[in-house]
Amino acid sequence: MKRPPAVLAAALVLTLLGTLVSACTRDAEHITLRVLASPELADVEPLLDELEEDTGVKLEMAYEATADLAGQPAASGRSAYDLAWVASDRSFLLRVQDSGGRLTRPESTAVMRSPVVVGIERDLADLLRAGASGGRISWADVADAAAEGRLRFGMADPRRSDTGRAALVGVATAAAGTGSALREQDVSCDRLRGFRSGQTLTGASSRELISTYVEHQGDAEALIAHEAELLALNASGKLREPLEIVHPDDGMVLSDFPLLLLDPGRREAYGKVVDWLLGADVQKKLMERTFRRPVNQDVELSAPLRASVGNALSFPDRLSIVEQLVDDYGDPVHAIGDQVVFVLDFSTSMRGERIADLRAAFAGLSGADQSATGKFARFYRGERLTVVRFGGRVLEERTVTVRSDADLRTLDRIVTGGGFDDATAVWSALDRGYRIATDAVRAAPERPVAIVLMTDGENNTGLSYEEFLRRHERLGSAADAVPTFPVQFGEADAAALKRAAAATGGRMVDAGLSSLSDAFKEIRGCH
Amino acid sequence: MSVAGRPTIEEPRLTTRQVRRRRVPRHVVVALPLALAGLISLMVSGNAFRPFERITTLEARMASKSDFFRDPEVQRLLLEHGLRVDIHRLGSRGIATQSLKGMDVVFPSGQPAAKLVLDRQERSVRSVRPFVTPLVLGTFRDYADTLVKAGVATPQQAPDGGPTLYYNLDMRAFMGLLDGRAGEKTTADQDGDGTLEGADTWNGIGFDQAGGRSNSGRVLVRTSSVCESNSAGTYLSLLAFVANRNSTPGTQNVNDPQLARDAVTDLAAKIRPLINLQGMWADEQADSYLSDLGESIAPISLIYEHQYLAHQIAYQDTHGRQDIERVLLYPTPYALTEPQLISLTDEGDRLVRLVEQDEELRDRAIELGFRVRFNGEDGTSERLNTYLRDHGIQVPVPNRDETKSYEPDLNVLERIINYVGSCPPPAQDTP
Repeated sequence: MKRPPAVLAAALVLTLLGTLVSACTRDAEHITLRVLASPELADVEPLLDELEEDTGVKLEMAYEATADLAGQPAASGRSAYDLAWVASDRSFLLRVQDSGGRLTRPESTAVMRSPVVVGIERDLADLLRAGASGGRISWADVADAAAEGRLRFGMADPRRSDTGRAALVGVATAAAGTGSALREQDVSCDRLRGFRSGQTLTGASSRELISTYVEHQGDAEALIAHEAELLALNASGKLREPLEIVHPDDGMVLSDFPLLLLDPGRREAYGKVVDWLLGADVQKKLMERTFRRPVNQDVELSAPLRASVGNALSFPDRLSIVEQLVDDYGDPVHAIGDQVVFVLDFSTSMRGERIADLRAAFAGLSGADQSATGKFARFYRGERLTVVRFGGRVLEERTVTVRSDADLRTLDRIVTGGGFDDATAVWSALDRGYRIATDAVRAAPERPVAIVLMTDGENNTGLSYEEFLRRHERLGSAADAVPTFPVQFGEADAAALKRAAAATGGRMVDAGLSSLSDAFKEIRGCH
Repeated sequence: MSVAGRPTIEEPRLTTRQVRRRRVPRHVVVALPLALAGLISLMVSGNAFRPFERITTLEARMASKSDFFRDPEVQRLLLEHGLRVDIHRLGSRGIATQSLKGMDVVFPSGQPAAKLVLDRQERSVRSVRPFVTPLVLGTFRDYADTLVKAGVATPQQAPDGGPTLYYNLDMRAFMGLLDGRAGEKTTADQDGDGTLEGADTWNGIGFDQAGGRSNSGRVLVRTSSVCESNSAGTYLSLLAFVANRNSTPGTQNVNDPQLARDAVTDLAAKIRPLINLQGMWADEQADSYLSDLGESIAPISLIYEHQYLAHQIAYQDTHGRQDIERVLLYPTPYALTEPQLISLTDEGDRLVRLVEQDEELRDRAIELGFRVRFNGEDGTSERLNTYLRDHGIQVPVPNRDETKSYEPDLNVLERIINYVGSCPPPAQDTP
């Protein structure tokens, strides 16, 4: 009589316990997710044990993510990874966009934020600030100091690292100076040669870059990386002196460290990981450990993060733009300075105001131009500059390799010191320019060479255009590598100059539309 | 033509909640404390009710309107009815153009995407449009004030004379700022401070005159992807409407299809730069706008009013005051968005019915900043306004100029979107 209910009760208890236990084991059941991660995210590793404890999800990290997650998502079949966790998925998303619907974009959640900024040795930062407009250092100031040889910097390789790529996009956007995202026409010329001339350190990732810098602190005065990485480096005690973190006035690219779901079958576990990562206490731990900024608004910022990050720059909306930029930048450390052959008209019509304009243009390119575009376009250390002055014949020619301000002063003397001549032998002078250029190409084939031809009148002596062309053809492949950029000034024959530009793969610029300085700036980097 | 666009009229049904009666033997009561302990631990682990009532989990795809279904209170109310919603986040137009396999419901944020979904259904489906919310531009006080100085925005009067949260934006004048040109020039002295600056940059229109701040970026609106999101698509139709002299694109030359198509392409070409100058789109505009770095990320973000109001309501709860740094621009003409919850399965029908009929869910929607439709009321705004007033939040005043931007015909809008965004072709479901 009493037995059955007791058994029933016991059974009920057991059932409940059973449910409870099975519920627990289901929650505690271990799931392992394979994560393709950016190398710089290795600093979250110590928190992953807690993640496993709290959620039962173990993340197995492979710190091998490249700049655009090449190979992901696997077009067919299963990916080797369940998730990806990267500094930025922008290049990846642009690649998905370009696939014309073949690739589907995975779910993605931003986890932390950090701007790509520059850390500069304190003394140098003070110096730059003193010369910067409004006392706020910009990328243009960094480029200017790099071109001048005052600032050597390290930056991750944009071909391999998404941090390096974000840095490059930031600098290039500032160089274009349009106030909006880079377009095709903004990257058709490489405006970053002066900037690049200052790069002495690199790495496949910014993690590798930073460990190289720690070993070679004497080789660079500045590092371009995430604010978080620089703060962590300063806090590590490995630096002789901490780097001052500068948020450039002309903007920065912000990374948001998204977690991507590559295998949609892992949605449930992905959800758990995301919820855990976005919780206020974990966000606080992430901030304290990695110096990245929380996305959760409830977390109060720690002291080093209270500085304003400035304005975010937009990222280009097409992968081709980013790729062009990365290709032009090339090998960050083994870049070689260009050679530019300036073929300059010194016929008597240039006397007076025109020669003053020319001198101002050269002074501007030598560092006097304080505009942002001027700072990017200027002559830089390691660049070889040849000046050919001509009238009815070649009056003077001189080549300098820029090593110091003294070399730039030499250049100024050549441009302004010489006399004038009555006639104008445009094509003879250009022919001379090509002989210098082809010699240079043969001596150092890896060095890009271009000719800038400035004239204010029509050809009235020396070679005819046809004769020039015949000679040019005879110079062969070495000459083919050298484009001519004619600058039309005064009464120059625009049609003839255009023909020469077209025949040599260059482009004519009309100085009458703006000024000689702007015309020179416009073609800087287009060769 | 789909029948689902019309409001569904049906006889009221009983709620679907099942109350299971159990006969409990007296002795079982002895085991109750243990059972309760078990129950509590189940509740803690989030599995409450599971052993007692069947919980149906619905697979749902939605964009910004997941704000509603992710709200803990909404989740609780749904659970009472035995429903749980598993949210797959995706932009509204993405929802409409991708495969819907395995989904019980979808909740696109606006009518164009909803129509695309409905057009693809072979059976008549149940759906509900529980609320509306206007498209707005989220910005920050210094930027809004710069726009006031530039003559394109006017502040709404705050009732206590304090700093206002809302500004009216003259869309036509504002679009003049989005093209990056002053006349034909790319540099100009627009703010008359004696220096040439980039045309239509923030500094160019006087942002740097307000004490120490500087932004050399263009005046731009950050949007999510036009190929994927409803907000960006609706923004495009607003731009097209204004660029078309306040008339709906595609309504001219109806007798000459070629001429009509050309006119639409011309219009799309005209507004394309206003979107594309921003470069790459960014998802989750409201998340970044409302984050700590919001002002750094973008001076102006395209969001929905409910996202902003929900933020102010939450801010008021935690801080006891309004967030006066974040302010809204209400465009004139305005664009209203109308999310539609569409069921694709029988289980989905249950959710649609619930959202249609449950008063508590509707009340909660108001608390989340939505303008909710109630039967027998003219406007959708009265209850929301009352709620805001009661919670110490300034009530936005509708523009006196009530010009509404009408969305173009779906085909016309699709052509504009595809032209501006070069979007990939939609996926085809094999039914």
